[in-house]
Amino acid sequence: MDTLSDNAIMLKVKMGETFRLGLLYERYKKRLFGFFFQMNRDASLSEDLVQNVFIRILKYKHTYTEDSKFVTWVFQIARNTNYDNYRKDKKNRHQDLDTIEYSITTSETIETEITKNENVSTLQLALKQLSEEKRELLLLSKFRELKYKEVGEIIGCTEGAARTKVHRALNELKTVFLTLEKR
Amino acid sequence: MERKQIEEIITDYITGNCSEQQRQEFELFLKNNPTFNQEVEEMKLFLTGFDDEVETSSAMDMKFYSMLNAEEKKNSSVSIFEKLIVVLQAKLVRQLAYTFAILTIGFFVGNTFNSNDNTTFRTLDFAQNETEDVRSQLVLALLEQPSVNKRLQAVNEVSKLSSVTEKVTSALFSTLNSDTNVNVRLSAIEALSNYTETPKVREGLIASIKYQKSPMVQIALADLMVQLQEKKAVKSFEKLIKEKNVNASAKKKMEESIQQIF
Repeated sequence: MDTLSDNAIMLKVKMGETFRLGLLYERYKKRLFGFFFQMNRDASLSEDLVQNVFIRILKYKHTYTEDSKFVTWVFQIARNTNYDNYRKDKKNRHQDLDTIEYSITTSETIETEITKNENVSTLQLALKQLSEEKRELLLLSKFRELKYKEVGEIIGCTEGAARTKVHRALNELKTVFLTLEKR
Repeated sequence: MERKQIEEIITDYITGNCSEQQRQEFELFLKNNPTFNQEVEEMKLFLTGFDDEVETSSAMDMKFYSMLNAEEKKNSSVSIFEKLIVVLQAKLVRQLAYTFAILTIGFFVGNTFNSNDNTTFRTLDFAQNETEDVRSQLVLALLEQPSVNKRLQAVNEVSKLSSVTEKVTSALFSTLNSDTNVNVRLSAIEALSNYTETPKVREGLIASIKYQKSPMVQIALADLMVQLQEKKAVKSFEKLIKEKNVNASAKKKMEESIQQIF
């Protein structure tokens, strides 16, 4: 059953085998959580948003077709979920200091951990300084399954435009990171 | 390759947007130009380095699975309800269809039977007509028999006919006027009295009055004329009364009848 493709599973969910959504949840929960967490730096909010994504999947399962690629579809939903939440919570957005630690658990040696942690923190800071749009682009394209074509589908532009945008966003992240490191 | 081009290919490479051929070409290029290797690794880090090791809480899993469970229960209850409706509808539709089908079949069957009935009626009619014909012939044949019994039987057969032909009535009249046996003549009167609506029969009866010699027949005819209130018969009776050899009680009866007719 694990060998079934995401698309095949989603089609089964659509046909009424709701319990199969659990498999997709296991496959996607980390990626979705990571996406939300990088966007809002709020672990519990991100968990809620992951939950909302799956509620929406059930609500809109009738719109899923054989032609849809599940990963594209699910990130379209994730993006909308994030936007809806952003609009709702615009006023009371806050940064929880504890949540930064949340994402960091490693099994590497302390020394490299510290360096890596520093790098990761700086990278996260850099990421935070990017516009919402660019941050989103980078978060989407870091999943190697999502090609420019799919990223374009998710954010609503052509494949070529997506390529340019991803390229620019990655360069900007690099520039911001390097300036932060110099300080 | 230009610097900018290389940068773009690096992005394509790390985001997995290269075709198999492009990937192989680029990896060959990296082998030949190892200086770019570091740049690729750096870019990879920029893209993936910020949250590789996120952990989600078990509370999230709990929440998800309870949601999924609830959704499934809701779905199954809804689907049971829907199934029930579907089944009921199907049953109703089927019942209606059956009712309609039975009605239609009934209609056609009834129709065919009706037309069958018509034909049977027709054949019955035909058969009846045939028996009437046979009976009439029987009557005519029997009336000419020398045996009184046969002749009586013939006259009795007439009453079984639903309608009489002229032949039968004229045969009856000749019997009434010329039969030697009184009982046969009386029976003929009785048989003819059934067809008094026909003017010819009435006239025949009146005309036969003068031929009657038997007081029994005279009395029977007188009774019948009173019953019919036939005024034309009065003259015939008056003539008969004036004749000699007329039985006294018959005479008396005829006189009374004349009074009754007026």
